[in-house]
Amino acid sequence: MRKIPMIVAALAATMAGSYFAYAQQGSPEHPMTFFITSAGMGDGGNFGGLKGADAYCQLLASRVGAGNKTWHAYLSTQERPGQPAINARDRIGAGPWYNAYGEMIARDLAHLHGDTLQLARLGNNITKLTNLTEKGQIVYGLGDFPDPQDGTIEYVSKTIYSNRHEVVTGSKPDGRAYTGTSVDYTCNNYTSNEAGTSGQAVRRNGMGAAMQVGMSDRNGGGNGSWNSAHSTGGCSQADVVRTHGQGKFYCFAIN
Amino acid sequence: MKRTIVSFAGATLSLMAGSLVVLAAQAPGGAAPPRMPMSFFVTSVGLGKGGDLGGLAGADAQCQALATAAGSTKTWHAYLSTQARPGQPAINARERIGSGPWYNSKGGILAADQNELHGDTLEAAQQNNGMWKLSILNEKGQMIRGEAENGNVHDILTGSNTDGRAFADNADRTCNNWTSSTTGSVLVGHSDRMGGGNISWNSSEEVQGCSQEAFARAHGAGLFYCFAVN
Repeated sequence: MRKIPMIVAALAATMAGSYFAYAQQGSPEHPMTFFITSAGMGDGGNFGGLKGADAYCQLLASRVGAGNKTWHAYLSTQERPGQPAINARDRIGAGPWYNAYGEMIARDLAHLHGDTLQLARLGNNITKLTNLTEKGQIVYGLGDFPDPQDGTIEYVSKTIYSNRHEVVTGSKPDGRAYTGTSVDYTCNNYTSNEAGTSGQAVRRNGMGAAMQVGMSDRNGGGNGSWNSAHSTGGCSQADVVRTHGQGKFYCFAIN
Repeated sequence: MKRTIVSFAGATLSLMAGSLVVLAAQAPGGAAPPRMPMSFFVTSVGLGKGGDLGGLAGADAQCQALATAAGSTKTWHAYLSTQARPGQPAINARERIGSGPWYNSKGGILAADQNELHGDTLEAAQQNNGMWKLSILNEKGQMIRGEAENGNVHDILTGSNTDGRAFADNADRTCNNWTSSTTGSVLVGHSDRMGGGNISWNSSEEVQGCSQEAFARAHGAGLFYCFAVN
């Protein structure tokens, strides 16, 4: 029984390797304008604020030949004295957005977020198979490479073959910031790497430093939301890893 | 080339997911909470005659037979709408399935109530429900093969709009109220919540033709959802 994951992991690794060689970012008609960061920044919820996260999007995009566009991280920030909240949805242009294959993931802001009943019920075209990194990789999700150790930072530092489906957004399902609350949904606007105060894994909103995440594979987390499923258990990199995250976030080209 | 590789990887991953489900079911647990009895499943087999299910009565009987074979003692209805005919008003799938909550064959919750299942409010619709590829199971606890897997049968017959209601116009969306195995068309949802450019579980796209062959071409096997009404 224990052999199977190893064999599959090796097979998937081989496949992924050959896949990269063929990957092109976007298609001639539809250059890439959307991706999930292929790795986190490594310091939990501290991205250096929105500015740091935006720069990371730009850096990863430039590494795959997409640096000619202007990239923003899909992250909301919460209000502070003298600083209004910023909504992730207001930072990403008007769409349509395409993944590294040139597949459209949403036509416009209303389609992306489900602004009407019918749009919300139908959903956008973000699925496990379209929700790709800048390198065109599928992000492993629920049920992939299960291992009891895969919530520990030691394990994750040795392999990419584990469920890493949490994507930081700090946002509500409508793509907007949480307002009128002192609850931390953004690791203090992406400047905190403070460890969680308990061993609790998820859904600890209101219990200290934390940030809201979506599910890249749209499986799990109670509702399968791509942008707002639940909270992390803290803001340290170990906290982020414990609940099957890595501190990844979505990047959108605004032009 | 790209597509081939993705398909292969997808199939590999799904095999993994399959073994996970088995492992999870066998997880040792001293005082595990009691598992909620199954009140939702996808039929593990179709009736084999395309869109001819023998009407709602035939489809309900198939739900009941499969559920009973799996050990359920509940009353089961198929999640199917029928369209209005002279002297017969339309029937809405959502009104045939009780009020929830509904659980899959492994005791996982799919939706607490009608609002959560269908997204009756904008907030509920945006928040979505617990129906996803790893939770939409057949009565035997198996996942339904989907996109990027061999033998994709993710088209699930509903004949319904996204709100779980029948279509009001005259165009056929129900294989003539589940009696045609030849001509007609039908609305399907996707059990893996992908394909068709949306993630709808109950109203993703329209399939042309009501034969078993037409369904197969479009990635279906004439499967449908069953809900316990009690």
